[in-house]
Formats: sequence, structure tokens, C-alpha cells
Amino acid sequence: MQHGPLVTFGRYAGPATLILSSLADGAKHGYALTKDIEQFAAVRLAPGTLYEALSRLEGQGLIVAVPSDDRRRPYQLTAAGAQALRAHLADQRRVAEVGLRRLSKTWGSA
Amino acid sequence: MSRAGAPGAADSPAARRRARRLLRWYPPSWRRRYGDEFAELLLAEMAEQPSSHRRTVNVIGNGLLARLTEAGLTSHDLPQADQMRAALATLGCALAAFGAFAVAMLAQLATGWQWTSPQSGSATAGTLILAAAVACLALIGAVAVIPVAWLTARAIAAGQARLVRPAALAGVSTAVLVVGTRHFQNGWPGTGGTGAHHVVVPGGLAAFAWASTLSVSSYWVHPGLLAQFPLPEVAWMAASPLALAGVAAGLVMVVRRLDVPARLLRYLTLLALAASLVAVPVLVGAASWVLGHGPGQAGLFRPGLVNGAGLVIMATALVVALRAASGVLRARQSVSAPPAPSP
Repeated sequence: MQHGPLVTFGRYAGPATLILSSLADGAKHGYALTKDIEQFAAVRLAPGTLYEALSRLEGQGLIVAVPSDDRRRPYQLTAAGAQALRAHLADQRRVAEVGLRRLSKTWGSA
Repeated sequence: MSRAGAPGAADSPAARRRARRLLRWYPPSWRRRYGDEFAELLLAEMAEQPSSHRRTVNVIGNGLLARLTEAGLTSHDLPQADQMRAALATLGCALAAFGAFAVAMLAQLATGWQWTSPQSGSATAGTLILAAAVACLALIGAVAVIPVAWLTARAIAAGQARLVRPAALAGVSTAVLVVGTRHFQNGWPGTGGTGAHHVVVPGGLAAFAWASTLSVSSYWVHPGLLAQFPLPEVAWMAASPLALAGVAAGLVMVVRRLDVPARLLRYLTLLALAASLVAVPVLVGAASWVLGHGPGQAGLFRPGLVNGAGLVIMATALVVALRAASGVLRARQSVSAPPAPSP
């Protein structure tokens, strides 16, 4: 199992993964992120949690703010962020595959 | 990019006021960076759901977390130099609070020694350990402040106006503390002692320590007795902690705003770590006296309620200081660590 930068996020690793996943298809500002994440993950990130995770991701260089005249500043993924997300999701997929395989072996297919 | 699904009612003055109120939970530096966009997010959220306790609690909790982060008390990485400065400032404040109570205890013990020898080993050991360790702390404080004061004076002379107010606050507060202490130390109860065979703290210093920490007193919970004190003395008991807070706040703001050279930052870091380590025997000495002194023993060396409370405050301040010291070390390691190889 790899230990990418998201491992150091503690309880913000989950929100950070959701944010990176949301930004994987393009830049979004805070409210657009909230709505997108709610749609694809059925999770509503509270504003404080969202911005704490955003500031950590920005501090680690995994996302970057896009210059904007609007007060709502959009963020986009950096190359390091894309790499970190890919590694993190690959780890999660391995865990999911092991869990599903064992479930299937012992409990049968759903 | 539009505010998807956010009705215009969110822009009402009342909603903006609520968003501004919530933003105040965050530290100024955070508000400068994220304040506008975060307020917009809050307005959009309020348009969708006008009232939400969960949202309020979430914002308050994360705002306080951001303040702790800025103070260098969390593992969340600020820019390295900022993190080191923040942790140093927190450490300085914690040690100032710790030092005030340590000095108050030492002053009480030193006064007792002027009159008679302590009858218990705990008071003897406590006094000796406290005296030695507090002297070390004072020395470390002095050699830390001197270069910072010199650098600040040079920066102000070079036109850095943002340092003027914090430097003035620290300077004026120090002057108030010194002048007031010098005035009130004339009332030191150690004067006139007949059995001064075991002077562990020179009389002048003991009197200064006593007068500067008059506010650390159990008389606060006995208003009837306090009312019998001369009014200027009560006023000094109230004003001296404010002056001490002014010194600490001024120095903290100076360290946060001053462009500290890396070499001086390393020097201050070493001193801060040394001070944190020296604070441990101070607490041991204080605990040795307060906890080791048997119940029911009267006299000059009998620890009171205020000493027990002081011990708790010192222990808390030391935990904060050690936590900040670990933040300093983390920042120092990340400064000295070689850059990670690129993939």
C-alpha cells in the first residue's frame, strides 16, 4: 500500500479525496464543489470542512486557485494532485477488490 | 461560473451580516486569503437552507481549528517559516504565563526564607529547584529578547511602520511593569526579617518578584479582605497582569511581523526548546512544594489554594508550550529536509 500525501490529512482525507475527484473533470468554486460532491457521492460537505480540506490541499500543492474577477474563486487540480488522487484511488480500489472477493467467497454473490 | 441553484435572497443584508459574524471565528490571515470566497459559499448555503445549527457548529469548529493552526498548535502545515514563527509565538505566550506563576511561587517561598528556615524537605527542595530553574528561564528570556529588540529597532528605523504599534505596546507595557513593580516592591514583607540565614534569592530580586506578581493572590476570592487593602495596591494587582499580557502580545506581534533572518530564527528555536526543557524542573520544584507539604502545617511555607490553582495553570501552560515546541521542531525538520525527488 502506498502512502501518498492524502494519508497525512487525517480526518480530512475523505473530504480531500471527494474534492480532488470533483476537480478531476475541471475547475470548480466552493458551492459548485459542494453540489457536485453531493450528486456523485451523496455526501454534503459542510462549508467549514470543505474549506479546511481546500486550504490543506492548496498548502500541499495538490490544487491551485484559478485567477478570477469573481468573489467565488475556482480551484483546479495540479499535476501533483492528479498523481496523488490516482495513487489514493488505486489503493482504495485494491482494498475494495479484496473485500468484495472475500465477501463473494464466503457469503456468495449478491 | 454561476452560483448553481442559489437563489438571490442570499444576498440580503441580514444574510451578509450572519456570514460576516461566522467568518470572525477564523483568524485574520485566513480571512484575508479565503474570506471573500468563503462568505460567498455561506451565502449560497444560506439561500438553500436559511438556518442550520450543524453548519454553524461546523464553521465555528473549523474556525477555531484554523486559529490553533495559525498558533502552530496543530500538525497542519503552514508555510514553514510562518509555522515556526507561529509556534515560537505560542511557546513564548505559554512560557510567559508559566513564568508568572512560577515567579509568584518563588517570591512567596523566598519571603518565607527571609524570616525562617523551612521545616519541610519539600519546601527546601522546591525552593532550590525553583530558584535555579527560574534563573535559567530568565536568562534564556533575556538572551532571546535582546537580538529581537535590536532587529526590531533597526527595522523601524528603516521605515517598517507595521512594527511600530506592537513594539510600542511591548515597550510601554514593559515600562509600566517595571515602574509599577519598583514602586510597590517597597512594601515587600521580607524586609525586616531577623532569621535571614538562608537567603536563596537576593532581597532586591525577591522584592521585585513579589511586587510583579501581586496579582497571583487568593485575596481575589475574599473581597472583604481585599477591600481593606490600599486602593493603589488593588489597582496594581489588576493592572500588572494586563501589563504582562501587553508585553507578551507586543512581542508575539513583533515576532509574527518581523522579517527574522534564518540564522536568528534557528537561534530563537534553540532557546525556545531549551526554555521548554528548563520549565519541566520548574514544575517539578513547584509540585514538590505544593504537593509534598503535609496538610495542617501552618506557617510561611504553607501552600494555599492559589498555589494549587497555580500548579494546574503551570501544568497546562507547559503542555501547550511542549506542544508548540514540537511544532517548532516539525517546522525546523521540514526546513532542513532535502527536497523530495521528482517522480
